Amino acid sequence: MKIAVCIKRVPDMETRFKIATDGKSVDQAGLKFDMSDFDGYAVEVALRLKEKEGQGDVTVISLGPAVVQETLRKALSMGADRAIQLETDSVPFDGLAIARALAAELEDGGYDLILFGRMSIDSSNQTVGPMTAELLGLPCMTAASSLEIADGRATARRELEGAAEILEFPLPAVITIDEGIARPRLPSLKGIMGAKKKPLEVRPAQLGEQRLSVKQMELPPERTGGRIIGEGPDAVPELVRLLRIEAKVL
Amino acid sequence: MPPTSGRSLPVIPARYQPKLPVDRFILAEQPDAEAVPMDVVFVGGGPAALAGAIELSRLIKRDAEEGGSLGEIEIAVLEKASALGEHNLSGAVVNPRPFRELFPDLKDGDFPFRAPVGNERVYFMTGSRAQRIPTPPTMKNHGNYVGSICEIVRWMGERAEEAGVNVFTGFPVESLLVEGERVVGVRTTPSGLQRDGAPGSDYTPPTDLTARVTVLAEGTRGSLSQAYMKWRGIGSRNPQIFALGVKEIWETKQPLDAVVHTLGWPLPNDAFGGSFMYPLEPNLVALGLVVGMDYGELDLDVHVLLQRMKLHPLFRQYLEGGEMVEWGAKTIPEGGYFAVPERRYGDGVVIVGDSAGFVEVSSLKGIHYAVQSGIYAARAIFEALKKGDTSAASLAPYDRMVNESYIMSDLRERRNMRLAFQKSGIYAGGVKAALMTVTKGAFPGGMISSESDAEAPRTRRSGEEFKPDGTLTFSKLDAVFRSGNATRDDIPSHLVVGEDIPGDVAELYQHMCPAGVYERDGDRLVVSPANCIDCKATDDIGPRWTPREGGSGAKYRRM
Amino acid sequence: MANTFAYAETRAGELRRVALEAVTAARQLADASGGGEVHALIVGAPGVAAKAEQLGRYGADVVTVVEDAALDKYSPEVVAATAAQLIGAGEFRVAVFSASAQGRDLAPRVAAKLGVSMISDATSLELNGDSVVSQHPVNTGKVIATVTLTGSPALVTIRPGAIAPAEANRSARVESGKPALDPASARVVPKELIQGNTAQLDLGEAPVVVSGGRGLKVPENFKLLEDLAAAFGNAAVGATRAVTDEGWRPHSDQIGQTGRLVSPDLYIACGISGAIQHLAGMRTSRTIVAINKDREAPIFKIADYGIVGDALEIVPVLTEAVKEAKKE
Repeated sequence: MKIAVCIKRVPDMETRFKIATDGKSVDQAGLKFDMSDFDGYAVEVALRLKEKEGQGDVTVISLGPAVVQETLRKALSMGADRAIQLETDSVPFDGLAIARALAAELEDGGYDLILFGRMSIDSSNQTVGPMTAELLGLPCMTAASSLEIADGRATARRELEGAAEILEFPLPAVITIDEGIARPRLPSLKGIMGAKKKPLEVRPAQLGEQRLSVKQMELPPERTGGRIIGEGPDAVPELVRLLRIEAKVL
Repeated sequence: MPPTSGRSLPVIPARYQPKLPVDRFILAEQPDAEAVPMDVVFVGGGPAALAGAIELSRLIKRDAEEGGSLGEIEIAVLEKASALGEHNLSGAVVNPRPFRELFPDLKDGDFPFRAPVGNERVYFMTGSRAQRIPTPPTMKNHGNYVGSICEIVRWMGERAEEAGVNVFTGFPVESLLVEGERVVGVRTTPSGLQRDGAPGSDYTPPTDLTARVTVLAEGTRGSLSQAYMKWRGIGSRNPQIFALGVKEIWETKQPLDAVVHTLGWPLPNDAFGGSFMYPLEPNLVALGLVVGMDYGELDLDVHVLLQRMKLHPLFRQYLEGGEMVEWGAKTIPEGGYFAVPERRYGDGVVIVGDSAGFVEVSSLKGIHYAVQSGIYAARAIFEALKKGDTSAASLAPYDRMVNESYIMSDLRERRNMRLAFQKSGIYAGGVKAALMTVTKGAFPGGMISSESDAEAPRTRRSGEEFKPDGTLTFSKLDAVFRSGNATRDDIPSHLVVGEDIPGDVAELYQHMCPAGVYERDGDRLVVSPANCIDCKATDDIGPRWTPREGGSGAKYRRM
Repeated sequence: MANTFAYAETRAGELRRVALEAVTAARQLADASGGGEVHALIVGAPGVAAKAEQLGRYGADVVTVVEDAALDKYSPEVVAATAAQLIGAGEFRVAVFSASAQGRDLAPRVAAKLGVSMISDATSLELNGDSVVSQHPVNTGKVIATVTLTGSPALVTIRPGAIAPAEANRSARVESGKPALDPASARVVPKELIQGNTAQLDLGEAPVVVSGGRGLKVPENFKLLEDLAAAFGNAAVGATRAVTDEGWRPHSDQIGQTGRLVSPDLYIACGISGAIQHLAGMRTSRTIVAINKDREAPIFKIADYGIVGDALEIVPVLTEAVKEAKKE
């Protein structure tokens, strides 16, 4: 099976972010970067599928400046076979632009499966996977929390709010992977050594027009805490109201 | 002060300390058939190792350019933290001397230091006052730079990778593989073990690496370094002694414009140590407290003393309204000249940096000695590789280079300074130290002998309670949280604890460990290994630290 | 004046609350831009047309109902083709979807079919000249981005709960539509909807964590927390060290400095006093609710919402209230 996995380099989310002086990006000073969490799961799924079949080829693709090669090397050290950097000065915020560049690269690749993480943990748009599928005219499953493949057909599960659904589709297909499906392996020492010799190609990205952009970034207000809303079971309706209206978590 | 409880005091910690598990660290085994072939393996990814790796790769490159016959030499740096710098902690005011030697094409401004030292102030503290005193000659820092060892190490790692060094992070080394007296390789720790020691679903077995030379650059209290020296019977004239430093990084509202050191309060008179406060940026302040571990109070607690200290106006004026953004702790070898191992090489092995005890405590410096020792090790290894002979005799020039350098002349000049304090306390010790400075070590001549920290009797309790306020002062668990420690909580314990530890000894561990790994529960010792941030404090006097799954422990960023 | 499209999400033939949120958002946007029409799309098995009236009350002027026996479950390709056809044919300035699991699957497909970009997971929505402007949390909510999207139609998914459904006193004209793709020819086939999903979510991954301490008194009372977690559907149950040390819960459930570090959207601490080592494991949660008898308990200091009282009395009431809320 020939598998492509599209991965993104993102900052470490444990960081206390600061806004850069341009007011519309995060200050890069002192940030650590790694593969986006969900993308790690996607790489793991690809490697397990390859191992299960006993053969196959896993290509990892990342879009961005030269530093994304670090992220590609990590995927290679986990066990991917080859890597492609689609070179741009910076990663656009517009998912459609990214999807266009990826689709142009993937179109004639002959992939049976194109995997993405469910979303990038930094920009959190969750659009590139399904947009790429549409541009390629391929069946698409988003946010797969389990995946079975047999006889050229896939069965996958998606978690919903308080429910789940099972869908079936034929390969080739695009699948975006939810976390928890298979814990990403740590690169082994031999894997890291081997990764240095694996092929990594660099090609210019064809992004096209961008219509979605970031105008401003700011930090959310700091947690204040210490608010007691009532006593006993009588306070529950107020709690539910606040969770819904103010905290927006229900 | 009489002990508040007469029960079983004094405590001599050595009586409860388990033996160093040498047979686990030194394995008479060949590397397995799948071993990764390397020529030179650095164990540890700190300044000494990276300097050595950079210098060695440069010598090899030059040799190749000059048509030398060495061929391809593979160099590996194995670091236990998940990224370079995450387990490194220092003050730090850095002497740039060996950086200039290591990077002859760069200027001081190219190095990853924060700023040159400008103003300097030293205070003698009492609980309510801070009396400024003249800066002792050993503590003058003109020409040095304030820096973060994390940042320095990350930068050196980039230079090493550019030079072709294989930097492997997340790979602690568990054992040296030996053949006869010769070190022939290393074995990494496995990962993915469950609490009971059985392999879990993410189990990754250990990896062996072969090496013609293994460089022990583990930092303070390196397990393999200790085991190797014990195995080969390498001693020192005095036992190595240690201090524990607890450090915090603060974002402050009030700018700090000077490098500040203090002596005196909050330490009891018979404890050796002091504090530092350095501006990484005007509003980003590193501060810490360093205390020799031969103190006499059973319940002396460096973390708590640091918390108390911050309430003093001298510190409070800067910290109030600010935020503590990072916390960490580390031991420092401070035995000096007489505690340096009598040799730092063997068949297929050299020992560098803190693992060899290259720290000069009266000037609070070790980084530049570590870097310099790494450079010398690289030069000796290079010549040995060229000869095709990496035996002890062939690596011996490393020791000679160190002995003839400023590393050992600095240490020799101040050889008895720290030891005077073990014998005399801060006042008399201070007078003696001043005389030693003036006479460049000629006073009092000879060697003041010392005992190991584990033999130091803990004779009394302070009995003082401290309640952190959560804004200026913090509990240990709160602090560990800010070390970035996210160790998997279900790994097997990596701490070898003695059997039947009495309550009083448990109490000693509880207060000594800055990370809340040990708690006294009645007459029981409760251990929470996942809290451990590898400072090695209790390893010095009690439970032994051993390497665990890669990536465990602290994730320091600007320490 | 511009028309606005809203996708009305259903599950098992019932309108979801997020459908009303989408229609409300579309109504507010249309009104703010001078009063265009709101067109809603609802897709389902025969009978779903009955829900059109409710969409009217919340502000839809036109409801297109697409009924087909094969569309009892969400069929991504059919709904995407149908929505794209409708949006493409109308003069819509903005098309609103929910950033629910279904909406986040659907909207990007529709956007790509139409060849337009989209805004995801918006917590606010307004028209500003040529642009649609929204706020969108990035970097796990640690940073808020203000994003702008140019071009028409502009697709937006809005974060569930970000806009409260509000009745607008309208009544909708109902139009009957056809699927733009024959459900039988869809390649991605919905096989099964599993309702009331109580699959055990991992503590580290669950968006909601319900956690208990010694205040629950006996291990059996953790059943109350399991019921509350089940009511949320996307929740996991955690515990304090005191509880796991007592053996009430497995050690793997322990949240705290020496246990799991969690950072869910919602953390509900029941009968937990808030020892610092516990706080260390959960304090980065986005919203924290504390229920504890002791008004002085440290947990209240970091809680966004505190209720003073016995968790054993309060949790069952909360469970019922959450069930009600989830029904809508």
